[in-house]
Amino acid sequence: MLEIKDLRVSYGQDIILNRIDLEVEAGGTLAIVGESGTGKTTLGLSIMRLVEGTVQGTIRFDGKDLLELPDREMQRIRWSEIAMVFQNANNVLNPVYTVLNQIMEPMIEHGLKSREEARDRAMELLRYFGLPRERLSAYPHQLSGGEQQRVLLAMALANNPKLLILDEPLSSLDAVARGEVVDLLKEIDRHCTKLVATHDLDTADKLSDRMAVLYGGKIIEVGPTQDVLSRPMHPYTRALVRAYPNMTTVKDLQGIKGRMTRPVAGCSFHPRCTQAIDICRTKTPRLVWTQGRHIACHRGGIITLLSTRNITKSFGLLKAVDSVNLYIEAGETLALVGQTGSGKTTLAKTIMGLHRPTEGAVYFEDVKVDNRGKDFYNRVQMVFQNPGESLSHRLSVLEAVMEPLDVQEVGTKEERESKAIQVLGEVEIPQTKDFLNKYPHHLSGGEMQRVAIARALVLDPVLLIADEPTAFLDASVQAKILKLLLNLQEQRGLSMLYITHDIAAARKVSDRIAVMLNGKIIEESATSEIVTAPKQAYTRSLLRAASALHSIESSEWP
Amino acid sequence: MHIDLKKEIKESGPGKTGLIILLLMIAVALLAPILAPYDPYQQSIASLLPPSWQHWLGMNHVGQDIWSQLLYGARTSLLVGFGVGILSTLLGTIFGVSAALIGGLYEKVVMRIVDAFIVIPMVIIIILVAAYIRPSILTLILLLSLLSWQGGARIMRAQALSLKERGHVAAARSFGANHFYIAWRHIVPDLGPILLVDFIYSVRRAVFMEAGLAFLGITDPTVVSWGMMMRDALSFSYLNVWQWWLVPTGVALSLTIVGLTFIGHAAEPVIEPRLRGVEIA
Repeated sequence: MLEIKDLRVSYGQDIILNRIDLEVEAGGTLAIVGESGTGKTTLGLSIMRLVEGTVQGTIRFDGKDLLELPDREMQRIRWSEIAMVFQNANNVLNPVYTVLNQIMEPMIEHGLKSREEARDRAMELLRYFGLPRERLSAYPHQLSGGEQQRVLLAMALANNPKLLILDEPLSSLDAVARGEVVDLLKEIDRHCTKLVATHDLDTADKLSDRMAVLYGGKIIEVGPTQDVLSRPMHPYTRALVRAYPNMTTVKDLQGIKGRMTRPVAGCSFHPRCTQAIDICRTKTPRLVWTQGRHIACHRGGIITLLSTRNITKSFGLLKAVDSVNLYIEAGETLALVGQTGSGKTTLAKTIMGLHRPTEGAVYFEDVKVDNRGKDFYNRVQMVFQNPGESLSHRLSVLEAVMEPLDVQEVGTKEERESKAIQVLGEVEIPQTKDFLNKYPHHLSGGEMQRVAIARALVLDPVLLIADEPTAFLDASVQAKILKLLLNLQEQRGLSMLYITHDIAAARKVSDRIAVMLNGKIIEESATSEIVTAPKQAYTRSLLRAASALHSIESSEWP
Repeated sequence: MHIDLKKEIKESGPGKTGLIILLLMIAVALLAPILAPYDPYQQSIASLLPPSWQHWLGMNHVGQDIWSQLLYGARTSLLVGFGVGILSTLLGTIFGVSAALIGGLYEKVVMRIVDAFIVIPMVIIIILVAAYIRPSILTLILLLSLLSWQGGARIMRAQALSLKERGHVAAARSFGANHFYIAWRHIVPDLGPILLVDFIYSVRRAVFMEAGLAFLGITDPTVVSWGMMMRDALSFSYLNVWQWWLVPTGVALSLTIVGLTFIGHAAEPVIEPRLRGVEIA
């Protein structure tokens, strides 16, 4: 139906859209999702041929190349076969026409209907979109934003277009009105192909069956909407989902580091990507087909950082860890939840190489880890359970945080010192000389834990294994530390294996939860799923036992 | 956790006494050239003289000043003592800690060697070896050290085995630290007090052994030593020279050993805290 190939749009030197390839089947709805300024509107306008810049490539619609059509022919198609609902309703409507005339205009203009027919059709459409009868003769400035939006929708549908381009169709509607309009738009779905440009994931979710994620003028991921939202493969898509407030995900909101800049060499997302490598800086990735969708990423989407395959660790007859298979993707948090003695710490220590596995192996970026050298520990670090024990009583705060750098022989002593002080700042430890020279027994539990976290972060690891990092802390300090870890994830793309017995805390920080019992992983799924629809009885009992503060829920205001 | 060795020694009466004796002996050894009125090696025809104002402890059989010899004897004694103390503690630490950290076959081999040496009566071996090679002071130090580090190694290993399970050691390993780094930065500092006790006992043993070997006449005869002085004095036992030749030497040697024993005993609770409060019977 609609086939866009190698579309390039530029205004002078600024390349707005870069090599866009898209296809929309007849009757299908494709959502174009992306942050503002990413080129969504330009894409819609290009199809309408309303862009003022230079347009190259082909846009095939119904077998015709729209870009090649003579202006007259294009004019005929525009508003009759292809219609667009513009983003900013206020600017689009002609202030001197009444609402009704506004809608009648395209029908009469194209000579499709007589004045009488057009009036009937317009009234029917406005009724369909729920505009009160007495507003029909109002002028646009007399309407509310939501009413204007409805008028625009009615106007676009006036000629029964085959292709409807909707640019932020729901943005000026409140939540309830949105629901109504979504239903209405779905009704017309059957006979009309739609392109929905939006920054709002919920709109995309509700309206589209497929979605394309646009970033910096490039398509970076295309696939069935449900798949893309539930299991985003491109780091940007995941970041978008994480930043989007909704009722399903339970993890705290996370932003995306940096700002969109353009133009950039290489992958347009690389300055903000947390798993960028050299090639991402130099070469633009092509959109390729993998695992049921198209994705443009040199690394094949979000990489699996670490995985354990059939890891077993026995102490004599006791199997502390029993054939555990887990994976951790770059930039995600996997929470390992289970009661004391379920083997969580043993698993962590086995991953770290502090225990030798009885069976199985650990894979880092799909390479089997045999001998862990400095390069492994440079990338994987652990925060141990008891900071009082894991900090040497002989080392001051500064010395303790410098120790990993000393071991790894990084830079000069001055560089190590300034790096250590910088990281201590990140974990909100006072950087005064007095404090840096303190010894662990001078510190409070929270301070010790921060020092331990700083020590684990000073090497800039990509994976942090945090073993009950907040077990000794009161709630307010715990909240700060969890926030800190999430922040580091946003800024550095830190992946985390977060080990805890507290499923309530895990729920707030993790993308996925693995439940461990007697050395086995009994259940592993997305956090929202584990929390709302646990499959195992044990998981249900963990959830029942978790802190809930029911009084808050049941209390009533007088 | 923090064991204050200084406090441990100072709070015990005998400990204090021992420390005073040892410091005195060290002072004597260091200041011997100033304190000694004569060259202890200078022979003269005035042999076997009784004490006088010129020669406080008289003269020996080849006309050397006994008081000067006694002062210089402290040098030999303590040089060998501390030399062996340092070296054997070092060896004991290296082998004990490395065995604990490396483990496996290496540990087994090292610890069986240690066991073997502990079973074999050391004195006999030293006498046999020393009799053949007639050791100089340096060789003697090496020989005694090689034969006496094993006891220390055992203690160090046991301690290191427990220390290496500490959280901060696991943390250091998770930064990619090697065995050497862990031993040096995390294990040895915590062995401190034990190292000192081991050291003191090694010194005591070495002082005793040196005197004994010299007494048997199998050390370097050109170096003044308390053991050798006692042997020379004993061969004139039919005269009354023992009063100013044999007794002062014996007392000096005994004092040194008693001093070291007192310090060692006072510091022992460091190894075995249950001994705290047990007085010397």
